[in-house]
This record gives sequence, C-alpha cells and structure tokens, in this order.
Amino acid sequence: MMERDEKKILAVEGLVSGYGKMEVLHGISLSVRRGEIVALIGPNGAGKSTVLKAVAGLLRASSGRVVFLDEEVTNHPTYEIVEKGLAYNPQGRVVFPDMTVQEHLDMGAWTLRHRLEKEKALERVYLLFPWLMERRKRKANQMSGGEQQMLSLARALMTHPRLLLLDEPSLGLSPKWVKTVFEKIIEIKKSGLPCLIVEQKAAMALEYSDYGYVLETGKNRYEGKGDDLLNNPDVRRLYLGG
Amino acid sequence: MRRPPLQKNHAYLGIAALLAFLIAIPFFASDYWITLVTLILIFTVYASGWNLFSGLTGYTNFGLAWFIGVSGYISSLLIADHSFSWLFAWPIGAVLTSIASIGVGYILLRIKGVYFAISMVALTEGTRELFGTEYLTAITHGGKGVPFVAGIKLSSLYWAILLLATLTLLICYKITSSKFGLRLLAIREDELAAETLGIRTTRDKIIAFALSAFLVGLAGAIHFTYQNYIDPSFAFSIHLTLTPIVMTLFGGVGTVFGPVIGATLFTFIHEILWAELSLLYMSVFGAILMVLILFFPQGLLGWMKEREILPRIRKI
Repeated sequence: MMERDEKKILAVEGLVSGYGKMEVLHGISLSVRRGEIVALIGPNGAGKSTVLKAVAGLLRASSGRVVFLDEEVTNHPTYEIVEKGLAYNPQGRVVFPDMTVQEHLDMGAWTLRHRLEKEKALERVYLLFPWLMERRKRKANQMSGGEQQMLSLARALMTHPRLLLLDEPSLGLSPKWVKTVFEKIIEIKKSGLPCLIVEQKAAMALEYSDYGYVLETGKNRYEGKGDDLLNNPDVRRLYLGG
Repeated sequence: MRRPPLQKNHAYLGIAALLAFLIAIPFFASDYWITLVTLILIFTVYASGWNLFSGLTGYTNFGLAWFIGVSGYISSLLIADHSFSWLFAWPIGAVLTSIASIGVGYILLRIKGVYFAISMVALTEGTRELFGTEYLTAITHGGKGVPFVAGIKLSSLYWAILLLATLTLLICYKITSSKFGLRLLAIREDELAAETLGIRTTRDKIIAFALSAFLVGLAGAIHFTYQNYIDPSFAFSIHLTLTPIVMTLFGGVGTVFGPVIGATLFTFIHEILWAELSLLYMSVFGAILMVLILFFPQGLLGWMKEREILPRIRKI
C-alpha cells in the first residue's frame, strides 16, 4: 500500500455509503495513480458501481474520505467534482436519444469556459473517434449499441477530465465492440488520462489494467497488479471462473 | 418526393405580415373576433409556458392552473380591493407567483416522474380550497368570488396579451437554440447523464419552472381582468391545466411553434363545435382528440418535420 501513495490522482479512504438506509459499502479504500488503468472487480452486489457513484458525489458518503487531485471532495455536489476534472461514464450506454452527435459533444464541453479549451477537447475526441466526425448530425437513437457506448465515452472526454470513471463499459455489447472499447481505453490511458473501471468481465478488465481491486460485499478483499491478480489462484477460483 | 425547405427570408416576412395583421385587428374587427383572438393569445401563452418547462425538461406539470390561479388572484384582489391599476397589478401577480414557484420547485422538482405530476395536482387542489375557505374571507372573499372592473378597454387588453404572447414565443425560440435549452433537453433525455456532465440539474429545472410561472402567471392575470371576475373553482380549475397541455400535444411537444398552432386550431374547433353541436360538443371533441393522438403522436409540427415539409430543426 505504501508505494502507491505518491502520484495519487484519486484516493478513497474507508468509504461508507449506500442507498438511503441500506449501507452497501462498509469502508472501501482504493487509489488511482497518474497514468494508470485501475480495475474494480467482484461479484454482483459487491458495491463496485456504488463506489463510482459515491466518488462522483451522486451518493452520500456517511463516513470516509474521497480525495481528488489532493483536495478533499467528499460529499461535494457532482457539478463541482466534474468541474474539477472528474468524468463519470454511467452504466448502460447513457446517451440522449433525441440529440445529435454534435449536441452530445457540446453538452460534454459545456463546463469548459474557453473556446480554445473546447476546440482542443474536440480535436482530441475526433482523433480518438474519427468516425464521429462524419456522423456529427446523426441522432443517437439512429446508432448501434457499440456506437452509443463510444459516443457516451466521447462525451465524457469532452469535459477535459483528469480522471475517467467507467461503469461497465462492456455491458450489453458484442464481443467485437467489447474489444474495441478496451482498445480505446488503452489509447485514452496513453494520452495521459487515468481510468478507474468497474467491470463484470473481470479477466478481460485485469488484462488491460495496471492495478486491480477485488471487492466483496462492500469490503476490500484482494488487491494487486493486474497480472498478479490474474495469476492469483484464489482470485482465479473465486472471481474469474477457474 | 422531397419538397424544398422553407426559405428563411420568407418565414420572417410571413411572421412580420402576421404580426402587422394581429396588431391591426382592433381597428377593423368586431368585438367577437377581438375576444376570440384574445382567448387564443391567452391560451398560446399558457401552452407555450407549459411547453417551456414540461416540453423541454420532461417533467409533466399538472399544476399549470396553480400559476394561473395564484397570479390571477393576487392581481384581481389588488385591483378590486386595493385600487391598483392593472398596469401594476399584473406584473406584481406574475412576479410573486414566480417567486412562490421557486419555493415549490425547490421542494417538488426533486421528485421524479408521475410523483411530481401528482404533487402539482395536489398543490393546485389544496390552494383552491385555501382560497375558498371561510376563514380567509376577509382577504380572498372566500368561495363566492370577486367581481371587479379594471377599467381597461378591450383593445388595450388585446394589445397587452399580443405583446406578451409575442415575447413568450421569442423567449421560447431563444431558449430552444441556447445552451440553457440544450441543458434542459439533456435533463429530459437522461437526467443522470446530464448530472454527470456537471449540469446543475436542480437549478436549471427551477429556473425553467420559475420562468414558466412568470409568463403563465402574467397571462393568468390578464385572463381574469378580461373576465372581470375570479373565484376559486374557476381560477384553479383542472381545465386551465388540461386545455393548454392538450393544445401543446396537438401542435407538438417540445417544439417552438407547436403550442401556438395547437392553441389556434383548438380554439377554432372549440368555437365551431360549440356553435353547431352544443349538445354533442364534448363527445365529438373527445373523438377528434383520440384520432389526433393515435395518428399524430408527435403533434402537427412533429408530423410535418418527419415528412420534411418543415426542416427538422429544434428552432421551429
């Protein structure tokens, strides 16, 4: 744990949160360092998505701390955390059906105050997703599931983030698109943006990640480098299906 | 076959000609026609105001009559009991209603979907009871209502509501093509996603709600001055909520000009049916409504955009 203290983008310490009176997280700790992809895996109901929601300020933390870019943001409103540089891509290809690609990107960029900043973000997004350019005027409801997931990712990137939270980016996608999504995440990481990914496809997520955390019923269970976790017999048996 | 899209210049010219015609109406038309157009304009503001909030955010407001009634009562009482001129009574009614709506929005706009709709119905019904109760007779005159004379000529009242309707449409047009409008649309399409993009969803919803309350409230104040009378069951009537909603559905929810077209056609159909078929009026009207909703679910404007008779842009 000690060696992970430097260069932290995000640090979560002893986070307790849940929905109303139902406590889901009973003290979770994790961190994301500069230039890393970190995977958050575990069985259904372990609280993986809840961690992301609490970090993004969508759920209240009753105890514990969230430190983002060396500043405590525990229970700050979502818009403040987003303005600080957190992009959160919710589960399930959340696009605006009746809006065009261009409008999605405008929406993503609306926290950016300077025109120049927005153009830079747009350039970066078009570099990552060149096909979005020619579909600028297409509405989201005329796109395939995979395309919608990409659009959702592109929109999140338009906020010019310092950290990207992805909640099950592979959910409901064909194997071909799942691979494309993970390849894009690697590209995003190479462009200097760290990611915290929640994934049901645990083996695949660990393969692409630098570091991983295994959660179980709202508590930390295992953690380690992606490869180490993949080769850990206990983790393999319990969470990766042999 | 594709038709050529409407020319922008022609559209401006058409709007200018229509506006000139509407301004001139009191100089040549009979009182019957002035009255009819006044009602169309009042309901245009109700429908556009409803659409401005509900059409863009997707939060169905079933308490439009609350805006109308509260502002109508404040302005009517100021004129009747406190000898205010209509010129001051109307804006005071609208501003106070708008301020009150911020409080209401702060509490109720956190509730989603059908619960918000029901809460607004409850608020309207509760307020109707409050204004009718005998305990407040000294202030509200209770259930027997308030007859009053504002001393405004029909033509002046007509021009006032024409001005308000024009401003309302202009505001709707500007908002639909603004960043604020796009944020409201994002809330309608997916509120969680909107929030994760850093949009202050509650604040934006409250702003739209208060703006809707102001415009609708102003029209409500004019409405009751025109009637020279207000009472609780009239001011907070469910018809004042439902009619503008039906008009908007008729013209096209979330479009800029749908509510105007809806209000106009609806009022004319209403007049014709009332004159020709007064006994069967409601049933014929209901049948027309069902046919429209079945075959034109997106309203007239939505249907025309789909057929590319009109360009598929939000600004119409």
